[in-house]
Amino acid sequence: MATGWLPKETAVIAIPVVTLAAGALIGWFTQRSGFCSVGGIRDLILLRQTRLLTGFLALVIGAFIGFTVLSFLSPAAFEHFFWATKSGLLIPVPGAPAGLSAGAYILLAVLGGIGVGVTGVLLGGCPLRQVTMTSEGNVKSLSFVVGMGIGAVVYTAYVSAWVVSLLKGII
Amino acid sequence: MAGTFSGMPEPADAGGERPSRFDRYARIPLVAGLLIGGVAAIIQGLLISAGGPEAYGFCVACHTRDLVNAGVNAAAGTKLAIAALSQNAVLPVLTVVGVLVGAYSAARAHGEFRKKPGSLSSYLWYGSGGLLFMNFALFMGGCPYRIGIRIGYGDFIALLGFMGIVAGVFIGLRLAVARAEKEG
Repeated sequence: MATGWLPKETAVIAIPVVTLAAGALIGWFTQRSGFCSVGGIRDLILLRQTRLLTGFLALVIGAFIGFTVLSFLSPAAFEHFFWATKSGLLIPVPGAPAGLSAGAYILLAVLGGIGVGVTGVLLGGCPLRQVTMTSEGNVKSLSFVVGMGIGAVVYTAYVSAWVVSLLKGII
Repeated sequence: MAGTFSGMPEPADAGGERPSRFDRYARIPLVAGLLIGGVAAIIQGLLISAGGPEAYGFCVACHTRDLVNAGVNAAAGTKLAIAALSQNAVLPVLTVVGVLVGAYSAARAHGEFRKKPGSLSSYLWYGSGGLLFMNFALFMGGCPYRIGIRIGYGDFIALLGFMGIVAGVFIGLRLAVARAEKEG
């Protein structure tokens, strides 16, 4: 069990407060910059512009530097960093459906990624951009965000169980 | 070409008034990216005692899932799964509410809030797109941002997910071009 800086009793109360504050800080910067991951890839392909894509690459580098420095200071909170060397190359950080084979995780990552790329580019932005545009008054983006919420329930209640049984059958 | 994608970010220097020094930095996507990555690492350090998963400090898809499912569970008495971090907390992660508040404040402060309604069919198109998007994102265990954070955490499968996203953007652009040509 990983141990963070806050003891468990404090952390369970801090979770909504900290994530609300962090979200608000991030939201301010995404609104000012037009930050978008799918948009960054699109701009590089279509316009040969790297402005947005540098944002996504900075996210990866920022996370890596943050994890490196903080895991040095408090290793107990980052016990599996660097994941690929600690846990294995073909095992994902938990988040996708649990208990599948390596092949199934690769398939889910690649097919899920393709679906995210297609829907993101056709609707003019990835989810963070859609949430930001909702706050700028865009009602189409609001429909996207509401659709995401419905999608979460549909996925959890039905789709994830179907996908798991399908993948366990074939891979 | 670019006109076929409505709602795209406008150039950052579109505003009229002279930006403050803070705002000049805030308008650089690279700054936002470093901030999100760094904040995600700090949040893990702060909150991981309450439960996993790791590399979960910021995610638009999974954190929306946690919030919506927790709300449905409370209202309808269902037991939809959410991340341990949100399950153990007094309230689930409120990241997405925070982003809405922060982005709204920034838009108001800079006079960039305008109500932009669409047609009913556009709402259905965007709503079903959001529904599909959420499912694809949860297949790979996160939105593009959590994928980025997981890559930073050393997750090779997340890197494959990112390559999938790049391929998906290629396919999506092909589809958009084909549709635009068909419509003339």
